[in-house]
Amino acid sequence: MSAANGHHSGDDVAAYALGALEPDEAEAFRQHLADCPECREELAGFEQVTEALPAGAVYAVPKGLKRRVMQDVRANPKQSTARPPELAGPLLRGPLLVWSGALAAVLVAVVVAVALTSGGSSATKVIQASAGNAELRVSEGRGDLVVHRLPQLRPGRIYEMWVQSGSAAPVPTGTLFGVNSSGAASVGVPGSLNGVSAVMVTNEPAGGSPAPTTTPLIVARL
Amino acid sequence: MRFRRPVDLRGLADEELMELVDGGEMRAFEVVFDRHASAAYSLAFRMCGRRALAEDIVQEAFLSLWRSGAGYDRTRGSVRSWVLSAVHNRAIDQLRRAGAKAGRDVHDDGIAERLPARESTDAEVERRDEADRVRGALGELPPDQRRVIELAYFGGLTHSQIAEALDLPPGTVKGRMRLGLTKLRSSLGEAERVAL
Repeated sequence: MSAANGHHSGDDVAAYALGALEPDEAEAFRQHLADCPECREELAGFEQVTEALPAGAVYAVPKGLKRRVMQDVRANPKQSTARPPELAGPLLRGPLLVWSGALAAVLVAVVVAVALTSGGSSATKVIQASAGNAELRVSEGRGDLVVHRLPQLRPGRIYEMWVQSGSAAPVPTGTLFGVNSSGAASVGVPGSLNGVSAVMVTNEPAGGSPAPTTTPLIVARL
Repeated sequence: MRFRRPVDLRGLADEELMELVDGGEMRAFEVVFDRHASAAYSLAFRMCGRRALAEDIVQEAFLSLWRSGAGYDRTRGSVRSWVLSAVHNRAIDQLRRAGAKAGRDVHDDGIAERLPARESTDAEVERRDEADRVRGALGELPPDQRRVIELAYFGGLTHSQIAEALDLPPGTVKGRMRLGLTKLRSSLGEAERVAL
């Protein structure tokens, strides 16, 4: 998908604007965008088009939809702290995890493990980390983290994966990743999960951090 | 003595309404819903083709907006863009989870839920004009370019899935996407200048 010099073709820009790149391609393209003003400019032009596309279809809002939405609103009174919109699910109102005083001031959107079910083959466990936001698929002592609807990263930021054993400080796995246009990604957890009590994800500066600098967006407890 | 006059919420900009929403003002949120629900539902329905699913997607998107309040990311665009993006992402998730069929008809001909003609407020007229402009621009595209754009954006398919469904090389699919988007950018820009 890339030229030899690492520059992406305009074809990739168009496919990305339409959300049509494969997840790994989208991730590579996002990283490329941070350093390529030419692609950013072309993408901005295409995004003007994709933002206009929904206007081409006009259907009447069904009766009752507004009532349902406002019932939801009344049933979910506001909380004072703003949170990333795509992570603001009902299950996120669980206890907030704060590692240190330095992290306490960071906006918090912590995901708690809510279910442990079997899925796939009998040797595979799927741990739901939140309401549709993340699954940790564990098979034969190894894990794959599948995330959905994570916020898009700003240039110069990256998601970093950590593992925690007991109450010890989280240890970087060396896994840095982004999400596709719908906020999805699938990444393997390096090494064995033996002795690991939780897999976490934080938003870090590009290149990663030796220790978390923000409160985790995802905590999948084993 | 200062008298406070009731604020006409419908006269406020989205960003001002979202400040009120952040403070828990449900009436402000209701105005935001009224302003953007049609576009949100239209996109959801256009993508999934099922009324109940489209309603669920829109409901989730607006509830997410309510919870985020002023915390929605303004740097990423307007409230409308935020809502449409939330709807689009959720619909793509649904389509990909359901294993979207590339061959399904993504054209909206024959769908009987178009906005009734009797709704003729200024906002509706403006929305119809905008819809006409976008549909007109799409209609002017060569069919092979329009098809890949619709399958990607409204169908939630990746370029590889489209290539497989249409029996085309992936490079051809992406090339058609680029040609189509480039033409749309030009024709929509032209239409906007004419409308002004």
